[in-house]
Amino acid sequence: MSYKFEIENLNAWFGSKHVLRDISMKIREKAVTAIIGPSGCGKTTLIRCINRMHEIGPNARVSGKVLFNGIDIYAADVDPVQIRRKMGMVFQKPNPFPMMSIYDNVAAGLKLNGMRNREKLDTVVERSLKMAILWDEVKDDLNKSGASLSGGQQQRLCIARALAVEPEVMLMDEPASALDPIATAKLEVLIRMLAKDYTVVIVTHNMQQAARAADFTAFLYLGELIEYGPTKALFENPENELTEKYITGQFG
Amino acid sequence: MSRLIDTGLEQLASMVFRMGEMAYKTVSLSLESYIEGINALAQVQDLSETLIVMADEAEDKAFELIARFQPVASDLRILKSYMKVIYDFERYGRYALDVSQVQRASGGLEQCERWINESIREMSEKVLNMVRTSIASLKSHNVELAKTLSETENQVDDMYFKYLDRLVEKAPATNKCTISSVLVARYLERIADHATYVGESIIYLATGEKVTLR
Amino acid sequence: MDHYTVRKIIDRSMRIFAYLALIVALIPLFSIIGEVFLKGVSSVNINFFTQPSPTVGEAGGGVANAIQGTLITVGLASLIGVPLGLISGIFLSEYSEAKISSPIRFFNDVLSGFPSIVVGIFGYALIVRAIGFSVTAAAFALAIIMLPIVTRTTEEAMKLVPATVREAAIALGVPRWRTIVTVVLSGAKKGVATGILLAVARIAGESAPILVTMGYWRWWFAGLNQPVASLTLNIYIFAISPFENWQVLAWGSALVLVMLILGINIIVRAATREKYK
Repeated sequence: MSYKFEIENLNAWFGSKHVLRDISMKIREKAVTAIIGPSGCGKTTLIRCINRMHEIGPNARVSGKVLFNGIDIYAADVDPVQIRRKMGMVFQKPNPFPMMSIYDNVAAGLKLNGMRNREKLDTVVERSLKMAILWDEVKDDLNKSGASLSGGQQQRLCIARALAVEPEVMLMDEPASALDPIATAKLEVLIRMLAKDYTVVIVTHNMQQAARAADFTAFLYLGELIEYGPTKALFENPENELTEKYITGQFG
Repeated sequence: MSRLIDTGLEQLASMVFRMGEMAYKTVSLSLESYIEGINALAQVQDLSETLIVMADEAEDKAFELIARFQPVASDLRILKSYMKVIYDFERYGRYALDVSQVQRASGGLEQCERWINESIREMSEKVLNMVRTSIASLKSHNVELAKTLSETENQVDDMYFKYLDRLVEKAPATNKCTISSVLVARYLERIADHATYVGESIIYLATGEKVTLR
Repeated sequence: MDHYTVRKIIDRSMRIFAYLALIVALIPLFSIIGEVFLKGVSSVNINFFTQPSPTVGEAGGGVANAIQGTLITVGLASLIGVPLGLISGIFLSEYSEAKISSPIRFFNDVLSGFPSIVVGIFGYALIVRAIGFSVTAAAFALAIIMLPIVTRTTEEAMKLVPATVREAAIALGVPRWRTIVTVVLSGAKKGVATGILLAVARIAGESAPILVTMGYWRWWFAGLNQPVASLTLNIYIFAISPFENWQVLAWGSALVLVMLILGINIIVRAATREKYK
């Protein structure tokens, strides 16, 4: 059991708004860790601090450390672009590149960084689409527009795109929010499968999803980490009263 | 903030409490009938059967709440505890029925030696109290009250084994009293056990801790 | 009459009114095209496309040199104006939080409202004074006219690309500049191409700046420091002349111009159509 990430005293701001307060937590590798909490608690900010996407926003600031494989990604000599290549990210609303075909979408990460070898690209595209459980549905026409797929398929396409660059980590920001229940169920099965090879961190506002799909769950409230532990324990017998109130639906 | 599941939980709670009251009545009636030598088998049978029906309904309710509301944390613990308690209350009724059947088959305590009478009366009183306590502490989710059941259970156990020893020692005149009183004492001891199980469920419900009160 | 019938009547009359308004709005467009076509088609023959402008008293003649000249002028102007406009537009769209963006945008809008004759005079003062009346000066002036149009339409087109597309690329570990140039730009290419087309069409039809930076030229291209012929000036000069063959050439020039603009439109549309369905 080792830790992929060790977050130490992470703070984040949007201008003067203190969005994350002193977050410290260790994230296990090859497991699914869910971050739950009411709207505005900072969970999206937290996940975006992990791949250094938060700092791109206007007036965004970060302090603290995030150790990835033991190295602080916020150190002065670290290139955020390299960090992001090691982490795949999937967003709330599926966002395949609109003017590209399915094939080009999946290959985008590689092509945009210079890979040209057609054979290699073919292999990677097929492998990624298989991992994202989308290959069988699209293999007959990879030149179709990415935007012509259904919501659930589009999201899996985005996952394939992220997987194509062979990251070590998959970060998912409410990936099932825009999907219907069946697509959501398929996605959750996929998430559990991904955890065999990747470290998965997922933000969700759906507690049941965290309960179903995650090995570990972290509860954030108003920017603070209230409780963090194995999902089973947190949902059966939470230690913190605030956690108890939140997960039994007494506020939210 | 009131939640959708709250109505269901209240309904379930009242079903369980009603079961408890009924179980107490059943046990009390059957013990009294054995001690005084009155035949109350038909009544006790009725009550016991009602308890089984109530248990079914209450269990159904609990399952409905699980299926519909996906409860977690304290809600989930309440449901788990209630389901166990439902079984324990049903057991109260079952043992009460057993006692009544013994009474019908071999008569009551009125034909037995005085010392047997006293021992069994003492045990019955204690055990009936335990049943009373188990129901009361469930109603109020009272952990302290539930913990007292541990002490009382020890006492009942003590009384049970001491009684057996004395029986061996004193070997009364007729077999009837020996056998019937041993059976009833055994049932009393089992009722006491179930009362402690109820206590354990109450502690789990309130604190999430799994303890053994025996 | 019940309310439903009244509603139906009103609905139908409104529809008819809307169609009528549409027809009225299209009349000028079609009548111009029609008139130009009718009057100009008679002058279209081999000579028209191969012979240069006739001198006073010469019969026949064509607009071949004017076509060449217009193409060179517009081409040269685009060479300057389009890249500059693209880069400005991209900057304003992608780096709009930079402090310098607001002033740039403001001045760009101001520039787009300048009278074209003023820009022409500016070109005169800067280039003509230095190297004389020339196609360079004309191209320079036209580039300035073109610049704010390309900048603004590029910026708008880039802004239309949703932020989620940029985020997806950044999250893939694509550096920002590359994201802009490959992903965002390609998502905006229709709008950007339309903007460039608009600008080209605009300067292809300019006459005032050409007047003060080049003037009328009767011959073929003779060097960057010399003027060239232009279709617009030809129309001006020939239409008010007393020579009938010149007037005919004027109509022909008008026809060519209109066809040129129409042609550019069609090509760009075809090239940027949705390749995937």
